[in-house]
Amino acid sequence: MASKINPWRSLRCLAVRTRPSRAHQHVPTVTARAVVPLGMRGFADTISTPPPTNDGDLPPSEIIPQPYEPRPIEPFADNFMNEEAIAALEQAAAGQDALDLIAEGLKYGMPKPPSKQDQLQNRHHPVIHQITRMLMRDGKLSKAEKHVSLILNYLRTSPPPKISPARPLLPGAPPPEQLPLNPLLYLTLAIDSVAPIVRVRSLKGMAGGGSALDVPEPIDARARRRQAIIWILDIVNKKRSMGSGRKQFAARFGQEIVSVVEGRSAAWDRRQLLHKTGTASRANLAHPALVGFKRKF
Amino acid sequence: MASTNCWRCLARPSQRLLLAPVSVAAASAPTSATFSTSAQQLSSKASSDGSKHIRSGKRLVLGRKKRNPDRTKPPQPGERKAFRKRIQLSNDNALKVPGLDVLSSEGVVNPESVGKIFGLPVEVVDQLRACEAFKSSQNWSLFRSPHTLVRKETVDLAKQMTDAIEKKETLRLVLTGNRGSGKSILGLQALATGFLNKWVVINIPEGQELTTASTEYAPTPNSEMFSQPVYTVKLMQAIHQTNHQVLSQHKVQLDHMQLPISVTRNMTLAGLLNATKEPDFAWPVFQAFWKELLLPGRPPILFSLDGLAHIMRISEYRSPAFELIHSHDLSLVRMFTDALGGKTAFPNGAAILGVTAKGNAPMIPSMEKAIAQAAAAQKGEEPPSRDPFFRKYDERVFDTLRGVKVLDVRGVSKTEARALMEYWAASGILRSRIDERSVSEKWTMSGNGVVAEMERVVLHDLRET
Repeated sequence: MASKINPWRSLRCLAVRTRPSRAHQHVPTVTARAVVPLGMRGFADTISTPPPTNDGDLPPSEIIPQPYEPRPIEPFADNFMNEEAIAALEQAAAGQDALDLIAEGLKYGMPKPPSKQDQLQNRHHPVIHQITRMLMRDGKLSKAEKHVSLILNYLRTSPPPKISPARPLLPGAPPPEQLPLNPLLYLTLAIDSVAPIVRVRSLKGMAGGGSALDVPEPIDARARRRQAIIWILDIVNKKRSMGSGRKQFAARFGQEIVSVVEGRSAAWDRRQLLHKTGTASRANLAHPALVGFKRKF
Repeated sequence: MASTNCWRCLARPSQRLLLAPVSVAAASAPTSATFSTSAQQLSSKASSDGSKHIRSGKRLVLGRKKRNPDRTKPPQPGERKAFRKRIQLSNDNALKVPGLDVLSSEGVVNPESVGKIFGLPVEVVDQLRACEAFKSSQNWSLFRSPHTLVRKETVDLAKQMTDAIEKKETLRLVLTGNRGSGKSILGLQALATGFLNKWVVINIPEGQELTTASTEYAPTPNSEMFSQPVYTVKLMQAIHQTNHQVLSQHKVQLDHMQLPISVTRNMTLAGLLNATKEPDFAWPVFQAFWKELLLPGRPPILFSLDGLAHIMRISEYRSPAFELIHSHDLSLVRMFTDALGGKTAFPNGAAILGVTAKGNAPMIPSMEKAIAQAAAAQKGEEPPSRDPFFRKYDERVFDTLRGVKVLDVRGVSKTEARALMEYWAASGILRSRIDERSVSEKWTMSGNGVVAEMERVVLHDLRET
């Protein structure tokens, strides 16, 4: 028995029609579309254009179907840019360099675009980058950069160093007469030469009985330089300033760089001490606690 | 349950008294003191050793920050300032640049020498050094010997000066321009022109030295002005040193009866300058020298001052009534401003040069307005009017700068920039290829050729090359 509240009884008389997904296959579409008033529902079986309703103020005689004139596409940007881009793409598709075409109108050619890994912050030489950051006080990077360029100027103007045979520099170093005119090389050579090759880690309580176990370990170039710069900066900060003004720090630092190259600096002693400790603690690498320690990780 | 025995020696508490000698004997051994920090032991240690605690390792020690005193010799008085002010004009590491001409009095006015690098003659370098035209902030120390770029403004200025002096007129000119555009260097080139042409060159290297109350001053008798005796002595010595050759050819013509020193007619002007080193007599003698210079038949004068803004304001000196003194009431400054303002007549021709500074200069609205008005008048435009709501315009500044010529120094052109960069590269300071592209790039990077910015971009560049 049917329920009294079955809605289908009243709903059966309603026509359910779907909206056409592609409405104008057989209609002269755009023209017809143009005349359809807004808000008019388009049904799938609508064949002809319905007459316009007279619900507005306009009398029906004034609405005459206009002949269709296609509106030009509104350009969002100058079209030649697109053309250029398309031409470049075509060139790239043909296996040629797409940038050649773009560089045609430029006076000095296309500048080399930065690669994906390039960062603005890394635009300097790695040694310069590192030393600038380590000189920096209170976050004043541009002041540190000023100091670094003054240090390089100090190296440019100081007489060529006299290299001591007791403290050999890195192999392959240029003769000292060439150093002042290449201050970056001068600085790099000093720092790299005095940099230690190991770090001695002191593992707390590993030797048993609460005493620490010293273990040497190799370090990478950046860490080596860091240690060397720390030593040099230690000495520079302790050195008494004999001048004043903006050049005095650069002069102190530059003097220390020169004395490193000449083998007079105390940084060499610290390097030697560290290497001695490293050599002595080499035996600890086979320490059972350490072997266990390594196995644990 | 607590043990009745001692943990350490397994003795009963009642027996410990008997063992006391043993424990005292053991106290000196390190093994027995592992947990004992008794005051008794500490005091006995302190009395025996007295200097340090036995354990220096893992213990909080306060007051460790004591620095051992610096054993090195402290700098002598004045040494630190000498370091700051030191002028180094040569660098033996830099390469010698062959094929460059030496600056001459004809070359500096020749339009063809625009965009070329010239060496400064040795004697001119000495003179420029004596009158402190070189500044420690300039990069002379990087190069083998002092060379300078002759730019369009240089030739223009030198031509204006020589033309005016040939006609026995007075050129009153103010050099303006952006920061780092080369105003002081242009002033130096003007001084070099003066030395090359055998004019009497008087240079006040820093206007602020006169007005920041850093040198002594004294009221001039019978006037409201103040003289600066020590500075005047220094200036007289500098003038004597730099212009000795010119001044020794002219003899004193006037009677200087009022002077505290005896001046005879057979004394040369150089001798007059050198006659006294006594600060008390300096100002009257300098005044007498100035009077002698203004007589007809004397050599032309080039009077230049760097840092114009500093002398266009109220100085930091105080009058006896403890009121601030206007800079123009300082007699040496007054001498310059009278010359720049056209109050002094120069029968032999003169060039009065005021060089403004941008790096270290106070804001002087009167001076800026007066220079803007002078520049507009020079171009034949309507001069900009004063701000009607600004109360503090200084009429004396306007009087001083009325009718001066203005030379606005801007960036160098690309050809001049190329000459400069090629010189840097030839000296071995700049290690890169110089071609049209790199010159154009650096020129653009430096704000269309502002020279100090070019130095920053090119010489102080830290980039990986």
